[in-house]
Amino acid sequence: MPAVDALQPWPDTVEWRPVSPKLITVELIARVVWVVVLLAGLSVGYTLWEHWSWPAGMGVVVVYAIWRSVVTVRAVHAWGYAERDQDLLVRHGLLVRRLSIVPYARMQYVDVTAGPLERAFGLATVQLHTAAAASDAKVPGLPPAEAARLRDRLTALGEDRAEGL
Amino acid sequence: MTDSPPPPATLATAEPEPRRRLHPLSPILHGAKSIAVVVAALSWQTLSQVGLERFALVVLVLAVGVVIFSLVGWLTTGYHVVGRELRISDGLIWRRNRAIPLERLQAVELRRPLLAQLTGLAELRLEVVGGSSKAEAPLAYLTVRDAAALRERLLALAGRTAAGLSVDAHPTTGPAAAPALEQPLLRVRNRDLVISQLLTPQAFFLPIGVAFVVMQFVLEGSWTFIGIASTFTAMAGVLLQPVRRVLQDWDFRLARDPGGRLVVRYGLLETRSQVVPLNRVQSVGVTWPLLWRGQGWLHLRLDIAGYAGEPGADSKRSDRLLPVGDLPTARALVHDVLPGVDLAALATSPPPARARWVHPFALRYLGVGLTPEVFVSRWGLLTREMSLVPYARLQSVRVVQGPLQRRLGLATVYADTAGGRSGQAHDRDLNEAWALAEQLAVRARQARGAVPSSPPSSTPTSPPPISPAVSPWAPPMAAAPHPGPPGAAAQP
Repeated sequence: MPAVDALQPWPDTVEWRPVSPKLITVELIARVVWVVVLLAGLSVGYTLWEHWSWPAGMGVVVVYAIWRSVVTVRAVHAWGYAERDQDLLVRHGLLVRRLSIVPYARMQYVDVTAGPLERAFGLATVQLHTAAAASDAKVPGLPPAEAARLRDRLTALGEDRAEGL
Repeated sequence: MTDSPPPPATLATAEPEPRRRLHPLSPILHGAKSIAVVVAALSWQTLSQVGLERFALVVLVLAVGVVIFSLVGWLTTGYHVVGRELRISDGLIWRRNRAIPLERLQAVELRRPLLAQLTGLAELRLEVVGGSSKAEAPLAYLTVRDAAALRERLLALAGRTAAGLSVDAHPTTGPAAAPALEQPLLRVRNRDLVISQLLTPQAFFLPIGVAFVVMQFVLEGSWTFIGIASTFTAMAGVLLQPVRRVLQDWDFRLARDPGGRLVVRYGLLETRSQVVPLNRVQSVGVTWPLLWRGQGWLHLRLDIAGYAGEPGADSKRSDRLLPVGDLPTARALVHDVLPGVDLAALATSPPPARARWVHPFALRYLGVGLTPEVFVSRWGLLTREMSLVPYARLQSVRVVQGPLQRRLGLATVYADTAGGRSGQAHDRDLNEAWALAEQLAVRARQARGAVPSSPPSSTPTSPPPISPAVSPWAPPMAAAPHPGPPGAAAQP
């Protein structure tokens, strides 16, 4: 149990690819926006009703945001995906570590999304959907070219091995 | 095309099949259903306030309105089969056209609520995978003959590969003739059903609840009819689930139709008859409730894609494979549904002993096993449960490790199916979890490769081999204190 790392299953047979480190910037900016909105709301509350709980709330928000930001940096490095012959592997998560194995044959459809912030940094998210609601195979922080390549490859493989349910 | 539905009109040359309407009585039945809801919403309280006549008037006005509304709905609703699609269009203001691809059809159910039984009508519900829970498409109502014929036809279209597209080339046998060819598999005795539902926590609490209410009335001395009625209505919702179960599962019968599909029929006030192609079975769940152990009874559940997304409690769901039965019955049934699987000989191995920190009591009842056909997992201290997931139906495999599990070097493996319930291997050693995940992925691939889009042609084999030799080492469940253990029952 000490030798194995939950983030690196089968390190000798599987070639894990990381997601773009620019995802850290995107996530941090998104968090800063949220923190600013929350702080603004709290300070409005403070000006209306002066009470010590409002500044305390702000402090909690700031501390939580800083902690989450530290986690984000490591969490983005923890994301990884690998394409094998028959299936796609995705691993992510630090606190709760998850590894998904999704066979291409089970693919129902592929989503490629890119929010405004992601687009500004040239990133996209590829998500693979199966008929099971529980299966999650989401790869964020891909450069558009890589996202398109992955999508096309998944679609082609899915068609090759398509079958009903 | 069958002989029973109204023949297509003469101008059927341009369009192969004209749109058909639902039965003319449908709006009235729909209206009756809505009125029941309205009356329930108005409640006893309103009745006591406004008086019986005003109440009746309000209900009448609402009834007329609802029937007119339903009538408009009926006029604008139509359905027809085009190629391998069933097209349903409805709505007056917001027209909605739904094309249901029949290759995605999972199961077809024919429901007959009480009013429909009185009028000889039936509701046809299609379970289709994908999309939201609205993907299911009820056709309410059709005559029973039409509904049965349409069901046969849809299933025949769904089971076919894309090659044979001609609709009329596959005439179904008449709906009257079809049931005669069915091979009955099982019938649950109503006596067992009633006893099994008496052996539920709710049934045990019922006398206490009644005594409480009676006490309250005796002490307060307020014996108004309204008061008693509303109290009982409130209690019924909570405590009468066993009664509802009995009514729902009454006269439970299983059969196999000529195409090898499973036909499930049950219900007293609302009869349901459901046809499930065997290759649509996503997983089978086995439950041994605590209070049933004296009888050695268990419950079998069938998971089909399409039912999972349906909201509401289990009263709406049609997922019973066996409402109550003993082990030999269940064993025969599982063998029929998942060929090659012997319920009495499923070996499982427990998680490592250090998982005791996570499961102080139930550790010895946790276990997983890989048989040649299915992934077996079992859990539960009081209510023991087991789930059987055929490898061919696996959608994805996940390994999840929480913070506490990381300290202990454990991980949980999930085998996801489209039925919504996953096979779960809780708290395995991390190395074992990865080996398990790898094995599941490999076996799922092999199972998929071996059966390339199998139609329901996998004909049933002989009844299960009841031989004592099949359980070489009794699964831990048999070793558990269990009055009707699988190991013992396997010996004739």
